[in-house]
Amino acid sequence: MVVAGLLMAFVILPAIFNFSLLSTQFWQIYTRFYITGLFGTFFYVALTLPLSVVLGFLMGWARVSRIRIFRWPASLYVNIFRGLPPLILVIFASLFGTSLIPQPILDRFFAGFRRGDIAVGIAAIAIAMHSSAYQAEIFRAGFQSVPKGQVEAAQALGLRSWQGMRHVILPQTFRLSLPPLGNEFAVLIKDTSILAGIAGTELVAKSRDLLGVLSASGLPIVWIFAVWTVVAITYLVLTYSVTRGLRLLERKFHTPGLEAISL
Amino acid sequence: MADLRKFLRERWRYIDAMLAVAVIVGSLAYIYDLLVGSRGLDVAYITRNYGLYVHAVLTNVYATTIAFLVGMAIGFSVGWLRTARTMPLAKFVLSLRAERRARSEDREVIKADSGFLIFFSLLWYGAKYVVRRIGDGFVEIIRGTPLYVQILFASSFFIVFLREYATEGLLIGIITLAINTGGYQAEIFRAGLQTVHSGQIEAARAIGFSRLRAMRYVILPQALRLIIPPLTNEYIGLFKASTFLFVLGVQTEISYIALHEGYAGDVFEIFAMVTAIFLAITVTLSFVVQSLERRFRIPGLGIEAVRKPRGVKMPAPVA
Amino acid sequence: MIRVNDVQKHFGALHVLRGITFEVQKGEAIVIIGPSGSGKSTLLRCINLLVEPDSGQVFIDGVQVNRHGIRHEWVRQQVGMVFQSFNLFTHLTAIDNVTLGLTRVKGMTHDKAVEKARELLARVGLAAKENSYPAELSGGQQQRVAIARALAMDPKAMLFDEPTSALDPEYIREVLDVMTALAREGMTMIVVTHEMGFASNVASRILFMDAGKIVEEGSAEQIFHRPKEERTRSFVSKILR
Ligand SMILES: Nc1ncnc2c1ncn2[C@@H]1O[C@H](COP(=O)(O)OP(=O)(O)OP(=O)(O)O)[C@@H](O)[C@H]1O
Ligand SMILES: [Mg+2]
Repeated sequence: MVVAGLLMAFVILPAIFNFSLLSTQFWQIYTRFYITGLFGTFFYVALTLPLSVVLGFLMGWARVSRIRIFRWPASLYVNIFRGLPPLILVIFASLFGTSLIPQPILDRFFAGFRRGDIAVGIAAIAIAMHSSAYQAEIFRAGFQSVPKGQVEAAQALGLRSWQGMRHVILPQTFRLSLPPLGNEFAVLIKDTSILAGIAGTELVAKSRDLLGVLSASGLPIVWIFAVWTVVAITYLVLTYSVTRGLRLLERKFHTPGLEAISL
Repeated sequence: MADLRKFLRERWRYIDAMLAVAVIVGSLAYIYDLLVGSRGLDVAYITRNYGLYVHAVLTNVYATTIAFLVGMAIGFSVGWLRTARTMPLAKFVLSLRAERRARSEDREVIKADSGFLIFFSLLWYGAKYVVRRIGDGFVEIIRGTPLYVQILFASSFFIVFLREYATEGLLIGIITLAINTGGYQAEIFRAGLQTVHSGQIEAARAIGFSRLRAMRYVILPQALRLIIPPLTNEYIGLFKASTFLFVLGVQTEISYIALHEGYAGDVFEIFAMVTAIFLAITVTLSFVVQSLERRFRIPGLGIEAVRKPRGVKMPAPVA
Repeated sequence: MIRVNDVQKHFGALHVLRGITFEVQKGEAIVIIGPSGSGKSTLLRCINLLVEPDSGQVFIDGVQVNRHGIRHEWVRQQVGMVFQSFNLFTHLTAIDNVTLGLTRVKGMTHDKAVEKARELLARVGLAAKENSYPAELSGGQQQRVAIARALAMDPKAMLFDEPTSALDPEYIREVLDVMTALAREGMTMIVVTHEMGFASNVASRILFMDAGKIVEEGSAEQIFHRPKEERTRSFVSKILR
């Protein structure tokens, strides 16, 4: 995988498109765009990832609840956010987003922000919600695969129901959900690129911006592919490390008899 | 007090359901009020324009379907290639050594013959290894990078090398989507084929099936059952991804929204229409997936892991 | 010690317990036998309130437990339960399975709990396995850990629901030995089992249940060799064969 990636980036693509990723001239103009873009991507990931996990966990929990006040709204939420394309969610969120926040709160807490930035932030939250719908399904599967006997055993020992949840069900759900969560995180990281479709400042958007400068810099137009190659490698590294990271975490918490399937 | 408690307990099911409906309706109404409020819903806009949006979504369906079918060809071949059994070079050399040691005890084998054999098996295994690795790399790259980047790559490619087609957004889009879904489908086909492969062929041949009949009567029925639900899910995912056609300048629902920029008047109506059309398609399809899964389920045979091809893997139930 | 009075239980339209009445004295070991679906498990679950009886009373040490104002958690500390399918907590090691109740329910400090858990594991012959996860233990070992886990709560009585029927024959012995020792030490026990040897050696009385009723009650000798009821006779002849 790593060898193939390096081969692709430094031998095959450069040979086809006649560029080199080691050229200083190229990096002189790209570095600034790349760094701001990368930081933007990190920022959006840092914003959306924790939010999506919390929402996804709560929704997944609500979906296995016996109480309909929790279960039905959660299932509506999951079906709506899974059923809509993230691009559409992002565009509408950026258009409506600010009108969903009551004016006093806007004035009070977001007075220092430009309206456009707030819109992008809300669009990022829409991405988090899209992902949380998928994570809810992961957590739901995790909850459902804890056998009923585990709960009964906890009850029979005299644990209260929240204690059974806290000490018996949650730890098992958590372990069962780790590897699929890693995959979903990778999807979320890739999905932040959608923010480039509106006014988001992140890797894809900044790299697209570079194209305007590229023609003026004297480099031939095929150097666009150098840009896309760098962007692709960056995303590969990000998604690879997050799935790997979660797999390591799983190994750390590994318990015989509690394995999730992994391909 | 006791009466009230008894009443609550007996009617809890209904009270609970009613409250749930109230929560749902209430929050939807709240959002509606925030967005539409006193302005009032522009029903005239909807009745005048809904055809436009249905047509736009149909463009998505059209692109998705073609890309999906092409992607199926790509996915099947790549997935099938990836099931090929290969071994790393080091292990291969080791096994050769072991074999040679075994042969040196057996004097009858002619030296030249064995050299020839080694050369060809090395070539054969080497080729298989390389092809499989290329397949792996293709899948990793497709699944590891955003579709947006893939689309920008493709459109740059057309702009630079195939200038005369560069304005054919739909064509470029379909090609990109086909390659993209090919990568995802490869994973589905691989998992499906691998799950059935082992042991089943031998068992079928052992009771006298020919290789072809074993494929027809044993492998395919099992593999199809495993593959159809995740493929349907992939179709849903691709359909959602097809909204990116807008980036390539194809006239879809999003480009109509873009026309509205700066004028926020009917955006909610557009949102409502687009949401309704999309949900009608995706939710219907996911119910189809669920019922397919229920109908085709074979107890003891399942690849939960490939059910959610676009990245979501399901944990195995604890035995 | 435990008194069950006219307990009824329905699951929807299914009438599972049709008026069960019996009493267990302190230090007695009662064995319940009966055909599948006769309501044995449901009866045991009614005693520790995993299943709430529709009507009738359950008394533990003279206190009626199935009434308003009695906390289920308290009742379950009074009677330990061992399940047919062990139900050890999959994500915890043997010793953590035992200490969980001690620290979380009894509020014991971790060190004290570990000390007590070690003792109990030694008592069921598993001192060496304290750091193994359930998946790494044989069925017999898992069931013995489950017994230690229940004993850790210092219950006044123990309920066993077919503790050996999920075990391979070679592991049944070790679990029954632990249970026999427990009975000899004077633990009050209600055991659902079809292990006739165990019933003959240990049971002070045997109850035969069928279709949600106690059909016959008597010593092992009487139930197995001189049953009064026709239903008991046909059931016993099937399992003794
Ligand atoms: N939670 C439940 N919901 C609905 N029906 C139940 C439930 N628990 C038990 N039953 C039904 O009640 C009847 C008695 O079940 P129970 O488990 O008490 O029988 P049993 O005597 O323990 O049988 P076995 O020897 O097979 O364990 C069965 O018909 C069973 O299907
Ligand atoms: Mg039972």
